[in-house]
Amino acid sequence: MSTEVIDFSKMEKGDSLWDKAWYKFKRDSMGKTGAIIVLVYFIIALGVWFGLWGTAWSDTSDLLQADPSWQHLIGTNQIGQDVFTRVIYSTKVAFEVGLVVAVFSTILGAILGSVSGYFSGTWIDSIILWFMGVLDSIPFYLFVAAVAFALKENPFAMHIAMISTFWTGTARVIRGEVIKLKGQEFVEAARSIGVRENKIIFKHIMPNTSHILLVQGTIAFVAAIKSEVILSFLGMGVKDGVSWGLMISESTQDIQAGHFNNFIASSVFLFVLVIAFNMFSDSMQDALDPKKVS
Amino acid sequence: MDILKFALRKLIGGIPLILGVTFIAFLLMVYFGPDLTYEKLGKNPTAQEIVDIRHELGYDQPFIKRYGNYLKQLITLDFGNAEIRDAKVSTILKETMPVSLHLIIPGFILGNILAIALALLAAYHRGSWVDKFIMTSSVVGMSISFLIVIIVFQLVFSSSFGLNLFPVRGWEVYDADKNIIWGQYFMYVAVPTMATVFVALGYNTRFYRAVLVEEMTKDHVRTAKAFGHKPASLLFKGVLKNAMVPITTRIMFSIPLVVVSGSLLIESYFGIPGVGKVTFDAIIAGDQNILKAIVGLTAVLFVVVLMFTDILYRVFDPRVELK
Repeated sequence: MSTEVIDFSKMEKGDSLWDKAWYKFKRDSMGKTGAIIVLVYFIIALGVWFGLWGTAWSDTSDLLQADPSWQHLIGTNQIGQDVFTRVIYSTKVAFEVGLVVAVFSTILGAILGSVSGYFSGTWIDSIILWFMGVLDSIPFYLFVAAVAFALKENPFAMHIAMISTFWTGTARVIRGEVIKLKGQEFVEAARSIGVRENKIIFKHIMPNTSHILLVQGTIAFVAAIKSEVILSFLGMGVKDGVSWGLMISESTQDIQAGHFNNFIASSVFLFVLVIAFNMFSDSMQDALDPKKVS
Repeated sequence: MDILKFALRKLIGGIPLILGVTFIAFLLMVYFGPDLTYEKLGKNPTAQEIVDIRHELGYDQPFIKRYGNYLKQLITLDFGNAEIRDAKVSTILKETMPVSLHLIIPGFILGNILAIALALLAAYHRGSWVDKFIMTSSVVGMSISFLIVIIVFQLVFSSSFGLNLFPVRGWEVYDADKNIIWGQYFMYVAVPTMATVFVALGYNTRFYRAVLVEEMTKDHVRTAKAFGHKPASLLFKGVLKNAMVPITTRIMFSIPLVVVSGSLLIESYFGIPGVGKVTFDAIIAGDQNILKAIVGLTAVLFVVVLMFTDILYRVFDPRVELK
């Protein structure tokens, strides 16, 4: 999808949107800091994925509610599990949720948004708009619960629920952009030489929205991670294993007894990742928006 | 008269939305949802008892008829009996609705007004340290999970580890005649309100500032500035009034979701008996009658809000015609 755009940038060096964006991004220290922090988290998640660290997240020991020490960097929880290992392992869980939801909801939003924008004003557009309106009108928690009911405790119920609600935001933005693009000369040219409609939509118009898709993807990623925490806390999210949401949920008991290890560890890890991603996403939005007034 | 006709047309135009929402909710929660037959039966039921219960639950009827019954319930506002409590769904909602409204309204109003004020300040000082400070704080604010804000605020304001100023949880704000006791109300509503405002400020300020900045770069504002208008009249008449259309859209559209989703976490964490708490309990217990009622009513609320939003557009921008 994006290969065409990159080829294009090679042809006209120093003039394309992506070159300009890269130039702007390199000068934005907030954005760079954000990107580096996200990268560090990503490496942590990859390490867990390959079993390099964080493997002992469910091991218990006799040391209950221990204070931080060299053996247990952030102490232990109420059944003697090492908080640091659990918080590291949860990074992988967070990335899994974030990536799956971001990728699928962006693809869905791109396809349905492009189709709806290209056929704007026709019945196809009306149906897609109606469907988006319907999905946006169902309270999020209730929708998650409904999907969980229908899928009979499937572990991916939460992912599916998020994907099926998050794409509407992307689709609305893409729809607006496609309505602007479809009146331009290159689309007219393609149509006049008899290129088929689906090819016009997906090969000629959609690649021109890839910068928006990238930004929307990061927004979906952050939203997914934040929702996972609240859903897991409410008992509607991650069921097996451990995640930052489950750790916060465990920690509400500890807090009342004055043990803060679990709570501080999970909330700080969550906060740093989210703020880094927000900084990265903001600077990417600035860099990729040619008409940005700030 | 025009407005009435317009409102009626909008309400009728909202029917497809209501049908869509109720259809999806019904399909997922009831049709593909859990089979409640054996939860309602005792041990060793006879074949006849099973048939009776299935008939009572409507499982023996065709899909269209069951869905039609749901729509009929929505029109008559009679959703049958709840499972989690021994009462009618409509009675439960009537009792919990005021609680949720009392809980939400202060935070909702403060969250929006403060955000508009901060956004005006930031937009007016665009590029200066005031702007940068406000915008950085709002990014920090929106990066902290709502859940963490709630836990920390409770810890700081209501527990013996912090200031210990307010009650930890609960909602004892009504006297025997169900009248509100304002002093008590303030004590119980303070911490949830602070948490809501804190989170809302991050998102709202950013959005409102973007809207205001776009308006500020327009020609009429530059002209007004050149003619020597005072900053106050420039900001309120030239910028804010013109930006009211996107601002109202945001405020109005957040109303239906704030009523259920916004209060669900707060109410279940602080143990406040409002609609959010009932929804949460119903989700956990799989109480389909309550969930069906809440989804359906939220969709209706959306259509009504959509109608009022269109009428408000007209108030703020006389060029908008009621068509």
